[in-house]
Amino acid sequence: MKTIKFTMICFFSLLLVSCQKTPSNTEQKTGTLKISFKNLIKGAPMQISTGAYTNGFGEQYNITKFKYYISHVVLGGLSATSSNDSYYLIDETNAASLSFSFDAPVNTYSTVSFLLGVDSTRNVSGAQTGALDPLNDMFWTWNSGYIMAKMEGVSPQSTVVNNKVEYHIGGFAGANSVLKTINLSIPPSLPVLTVNIREAKTSEITINADFDKWWQGTFNLKIANNPAVTTPGALAKSISDNYRTMFSIAEIKNY
Amino acid sequence: MKLRIILSLSFSILLTAVFINACKKTDTAAAGPFTPTLLEFKIPEGWPAPPTNIFANNPLSEEGFQLGKKLFYDGRLSKDGNFPCASCHQQFAAFATLDHDFSHGFNNSFTTRNAPATFNLAWMTKMHWDGGINHIEVQPLAPITAANEMAETIENVLNKLKADSAYPNLFKAAFGNTDITSQRMLKAIAQFMGSIVSSNSKYDKVKRGEAGFTFSEQNGYDFFKAKCETCHKEPLFTDNSFRNTGMTVNPFLNDFGRMRITNDPTDSLKFKVPSLRNVQLTFPYGHDGRFSFLKDVLEHYQARIQINQPTLDPLLVNRIPMTNTQKFELIYFLNTLTDTTMTKSPRFAQ
Repeated sequence: MKTIKFTMICFFSLLLVSCQKTPSNTEQKTGTLKISFKNLIKGAPMQISTGAYTNGFGEQYNITKFKYYISHVVLGGLSATSSNDSYYLIDETNAASLSFSFDAPVNTYSTVSFLLGVDSTRNVSGAQTGALDPLNDMFWTWNSGYIMAKMEGVSPQSTVVNNKVEYHIGGFAGANSVLKTINLSIPPSLPVLTVNIREAKTSEITINADFDKWWQGTFNLKIANNPAVTTPGALAKSISDNYRTMFSIAEIKNY
Repeated sequence: MKLRIILSLSFSILLTAVFINACKKTDTAAAGPFTPTLLEFKIPEGWPAPPTNIFANNPLSEEGFQLGKKLFYDGRLSKDGNFPCASCHQQFAAFATLDHDFSHGFNNSFTTRNAPATFNLAWMTKMHWDGGINHIEVQPLAPITAANEMAETIENVLNKLKADSAYPNLFKAAFGNTDITSQRMLKAIAQFMGSIVSSNSKYDKVKRGEAGFTFSEQNGYDFFKAKCETCHKEPLFTDNSFRNTGMTVNPFLNDFGRMRITNDPTDSLKFKVPSLRNVQLTFPYGHDGRFSFLKDVLEHYQARIQINQPTLDPLLVNRIPMTNTQKFELIYFLNTLTDTTMTKSPRFAQ
């Protein structure tokens, strides 16, 4: 009788073990990383439609739309790298879009990088969904490809219909690709200097995006000369060379 | 004692079964199994494989094909209901617009280019005369939203489909549940459009040994191989390249073709080399439909090519000398490329 009981216990123990997930040493513990974007003009929060702004050339404008794609977020720097290949559309008119979260391996990080735009592969892979759905009005139907960053507004200096200002910046191939990898370090002036991802905890990186950088940098974008840029090409490329500098890390929080 | 052992063993076997079941992943959830009727895309005998498999991320199924066909023939994809895809892509005209230089769009407007014949798209690397479309799935976005074509927004189209009594179940049959998204709509249309293959013309029958050319057709074929084959490459009768054939610029359109897409001045006035399959049915010809008859096209190549254009194709700098007899024979040959199996197939019909 004892033998039978012993056999049964052994048998069930084996069954229970076989049911378990095979434990592996490579299984990473993860925490949550939240990335939040603050869209600014000269350091002050962007006011859609109501804000009256002036660029470095004395041209006045307002902003009715401001959105851009973020993808391929990579945490790195100290000892580990974690890549997230999701696509996010940051849209100033949609508060819910201004931050996103994903799981990141437990570690300590001091830099973050991401692609401003949608990588070339996704531009040539047919119908997409989610943030990349053409319903988001960021896909060119006549010249297949994503608008990586978009600004629309009005300016008295604009010479086109209704004084419109429209910058639809895209193009993923060749010399005029506007795709930019943005590498950000944590400024030494901040009180918290590392992103500490811990199991079941959340860390948050707040990133400023200052639209004022679009006007000047390596290229002088004057509304009077170029009120609308809505095709891929050298002009779009020049604007992307300016706007790549608009990001900076504003704050780190380890909750 | 024996009974107890048997009972214990039976109990343990029962428990084992429960444990094994508990181990299984529940992959057949409440929604029920999704079992579309998968189809094989057949490459005609002797043809090259398509440059990319357009169905790699869009498994071809009977349900997807049928949904795509219904969408292709549905006027509700346009703003006022009058312009289904099929209004410009008519099966009897090899999916071009019969006898129209420009097709008609919303609010009495004209298109700005001649509607291309849409068959053998699985082999087409870039769509449109200027190659602006890089994938078959995203092509419908252009005509649906163009103000002078179907003039509708994708959002409105999806709302109309969602409100319909039939579409939710057709999307479920094709994709597993009733969600109606732009991606699914576009993938379904791609399944239908990509399945349209023209490969049963007299020319194909000759190649398969099922028919023979007449004397004139054979002479025309020989001339074709000597003078036309480089660009209109067999068996698709296009090499999918973009070339300037030396046409004058239409002052109403000022259409510089591929340069609009690439911004490259060396692409000025270059347009996609169209397939010559079914060319008998796809008149008028040229990106702006300026040639009413095949003989007009041949006269262009013989005598009217603008040889001073900097981006003119190098193959055409001496134009293409040909006699009247050669022209007639070439047209006899081109007429052997007509494929009524495709143009009359109930499978592609509404």
